[in-house]
Amino acid sequence: MALESSEEQLRDSAAPTPLEAHAPRRVKTVFGLMSWSLVVLVALVELVGHFTIQSRVPTDADWATAGQFVRTNLEPRDTIVAAPGWADPLLRRELGDVISLDMAGMSDLAPFDRLWALSIRGHLPEVAPARAPDFEQRFGRVRVLRWDLGPSRVLYNFVDHVSEARVDFDEGGRTRSCRKTHGRSSPGGLSAGPSVPHDRFVCDPQRPWLWVGATVVEDLSLAPRHCVYEHPIGPTPFRVTFPNVPLGERLVLYAGLYSEHERMQVWPDIRLRVLADGREIAAMNHKDGEGWKRLEALTTAGRASELTVEVTSAVQHYRTFCWSATTRLGVEERTP
Amino acid sequence: MSRPRRIGRWDHLLGALLAAAYVALLLATAGDLAMSRDESFYVTAAQNEATWYQLLWDDSSAALEQPAIDHAWEFNHEHPALMKTLFAWSWLAQQKWHVFESDSAAFRFPGMLTGGLLLWLIYIFGARAFGRQVGAFAALAFALMPRVFYHSHLDCFDIPIVFFDTWVTYAYWRSLRKRRWAIYTGLIFGLALATKHNSWVLPGVFGIHFVWMAWAERARRKQGHDPARRMRLTPYWLLSMLVLGPPIMIGIWPWVWHDTLSRLAWYAGFHLHHVYYNMAYFGQNYFKPPFPISFPFVLTAFTVPATTLLLAFLGLGSRFGAILPQRLARLWPRDLARPDRARTDVLLVGSLMAPLLLIALPSTPIFGGTKHWIPAYPFVALYAGLGTWRVIRPLRKLLKAKLPRARNAARVLASMLLLAPSAVETIHSHPFGLSHYTALPGGVPGAADLGMNRQFWGFTTGSLVPYLREAMPDGGTVWICDTTWGAWNMLQRDGLLPRNIRPAASMEQADFVLVHLEHHFVEVDFQAWVTYGSVKLVHVLTYDGVPIINVYENPRHRARHDAAQAIPSRPPAPHRPVPPRLLPSRRP
Repeated sequence: MALESSEEQLRDSAAPTPLEAHAPRRVKTVFGLMSWSLVVLVALVELVGHFTIQSRVPTDADWATAGQFVRTNLEPRDTIVAAPGWADPLLRRELGDVISLDMAGMSDLAPFDRLWALSIRGHLPEVAPARAPDFEQRFGRVRVLRWDLGPSRVLYNFVDHVSEARVDFDEGGRTRSCRKTHGRSSPGGLSAGPSVPHDRFVCDPQRPWLWVGATVVEDLSLAPRHCVYEHPIGPTPFRVTFPNVPLGERLVLYAGLYSEHERMQVWPDIRLRVLADGREIAAMNHKDGEGWKRLEALTTAGRASELTVEVTSAVQHYRTFCWSATTRLGVEERTP
Repeated sequence: MSRPRRIGRWDHLLGALLAAAYVALLLATAGDLAMSRDESFYVTAAQNEATWYQLLWDDSSAALEQPAIDHAWEFNHEHPALMKTLFAWSWLAQQKWHVFESDSAAFRFPGMLTGGLLLWLIYIFGARAFGRQVGAFAALAFALMPRVFYHSHLDCFDIPIVFFDTWVTYAYWRSLRKRRWAIYTGLIFGLALATKHNSWVLPGVFGIHFVWMAWAERARRKQGHDPARRMRLTPYWLLSMLVLGPPIMIGIWPWVWHDTLSRLAWYAGFHLHHVYYNMAYFGQNYFKPPFPISFPFVLTAFTVPATTLLLAFLGLGSRFGAILPQRLARLWPRDLARPDRARTDVLLVGSLMAPLLLIALPSTPIFGGTKHWIPAYPFVALYAGLGTWRVIRPLRKLLKAKLPRARNAARVLASMLLLAPSAVETIHSHPFGLSHYTALPGGVPGAADLGMNRQFWGFTTGSLVPYLREAMPDGGTVWICDTTWGAWNMLQRDGLLPRNIRPAASMEQADFVLVHLEHHFVEVDFQAWVTYGSVKLVHVLTYDGVPIINVYENPRHRARHDAAQAIPSRPPAPHRPVPPRLLPSRRP
């Protein structure tokens, strides 16, 4: 691969030529030493960085002692989260037996008096109040944080009382009731949607998707939502009615769909109405893409009402609708 | 750098040694990796095809009838046949002679072989283009990219297509001076077409380069330069690719021997209109276009060791003048980088950029992570080798004057220092290759903070085997999430998992449920919560403290287990020792 001639600027090989190798001395010296130093520096930083990252990983013992501390100090209306969110499995490994579906799939912090967090890498939980925690203690590389939110004003959680509800729908000019049953759950799997709970209302053996029960849905943001699954059957109303619901000043409802059925944003809206003793007190139109949407209605405190959540939609395809609701005291949320 | 002497048998011996050492390393470490989803599909395909080759041997006329061909080749016909044929032959050899330690190694060996041959090729390509030191460093830098190391183990097409794409590029480059290489270009292109559809873009890349090179060559001839060794300005390579490529692909692939045109059209259509899968990127789960243009560039920065990338940038920078059009090149310092007559840098940069740019198109699916643009990496490695030569040169000059005997040792030591981060990262990445991120984003935890994809293909199940054996000493059932039944079966065929630990079709029937953690897989977690009425995890497989697989235990199994513990009516099951390679080798 010899050069054609020393005069030619175009060569046979891409290998640097003697001419290039003998580029101006100052260029060679300055650039050569600078690039050598830079590369060695980056190599060393990369190596040190690698081992530093390893050394900062919290140990299982850190997680266990932090978890044990929270377990010992946990009170009935406390909730626990991990920060960052990706550490949630490590939290559930330590404390999963004391984390209820209501805690893991909460819509907001209203039902809880205190928020605990197991935090690593300096993260704070997204749901935490925008202030310093009321308590902080370090266990190795895991920090335990606690925010005292004040007494919860939640009176009644609909999801927890779904087994007491009545489920019916209008079809063919008559009202049909769904029966309460206990059976197998879903097999599970990617894109399978929310699991059918063991205890649920079954409405039609020919339509296995037509059931009502408390499940956990993956919402549009991929967050877990513990909610009442109520799949509309079409334009005719599908109802879940709760007897003797104690009312406060407000009813707060969240609703959304299983993410895979909402994210394409191609299906019609879902209409939700809330009726107290047969009278509409709130309504929501849920469009695909709106995610876990909040609805708030003022109610008359001190009363116990029959409360109905009614859903309709122009079509029944991919309308895997789920909602959670609570009645609350006070016309405003508490300031945690 | 001295001008490369003629590349000869010693170079090929060094290349062969590199290849053999890499294949030996891959074979030695492959047992730590359970089969991924796609591998298990190719095992099924290879077994079908092995049966067909057996029939072809026994009764060729029966084997060549369409029903027999379709029966064997219909499965996984979205990919052409070369590598699956090699997997099948390797499997036949295993059945006959028990060549390999395990069944999975038999299926994976052809893929590993292409990984080894690729190092040989990179060395030779680099040595011819830029010099031996560049070639040797490039081969090692490529081998020590963590994701390359992972993919090199597999019975998949991703490393084989890198090998064939690079080989075609090398053959094309050589064909610019030697006509017989044009024939090789066509032959190897046929093998590339028969490996994977990434090869479709090669004629386009070569075409752009050829026009560029021919334009410059004609211009200089007009100026009166007429050297003895002329560049070939007739595109024999293209003729060869067109004439030899498709027949070779079709000849290797029995499924297209009948209904050829319609089946080829289906094959092309499948890949041109590929479905979109989920991929997490900076906390967002992408499942439909437009996909982020930055994806291949950021993922490359986050998964290829930073030192290698910096060296590649230095190497590219040093050759920048050589990839400029002639008019612009005049503005570049004339002594720093001048193009060769083959415009090698234009070809190398084109081959480097083409896979990245294709994936950067907002309409191109991004579900395969880095594997879809790995064909760019041999060229990244070549420029890293060139960058190394550039940065080491002043050191050598300095030592030459003061310690002449130490200069070669210094060159080797300096190269080793520059490869050290890659080696450390690659060792640490095993067996979590697809979950691995370099120090740039903060390692695996930093990437988790940024919301990057943690895995795909359910490839991490092998790392759970010690736990599962311990948790189910008397056997049991597992809901295996993203692991296919074929991949699970291979763990049993390899003797890693006992046969009495079986996959279950539903969570409710399973004793344990696995959830492979990807953003869009959280729904499976929630399904387990509802099925078991609890969010409690009994085990979390972690990598650098980042959860990789969640393990739930069915409360019924727990109750049975607790009851059995309370009434010790039978002796405990004998403990089966766990093979040493499956014992946890890192922080649990």
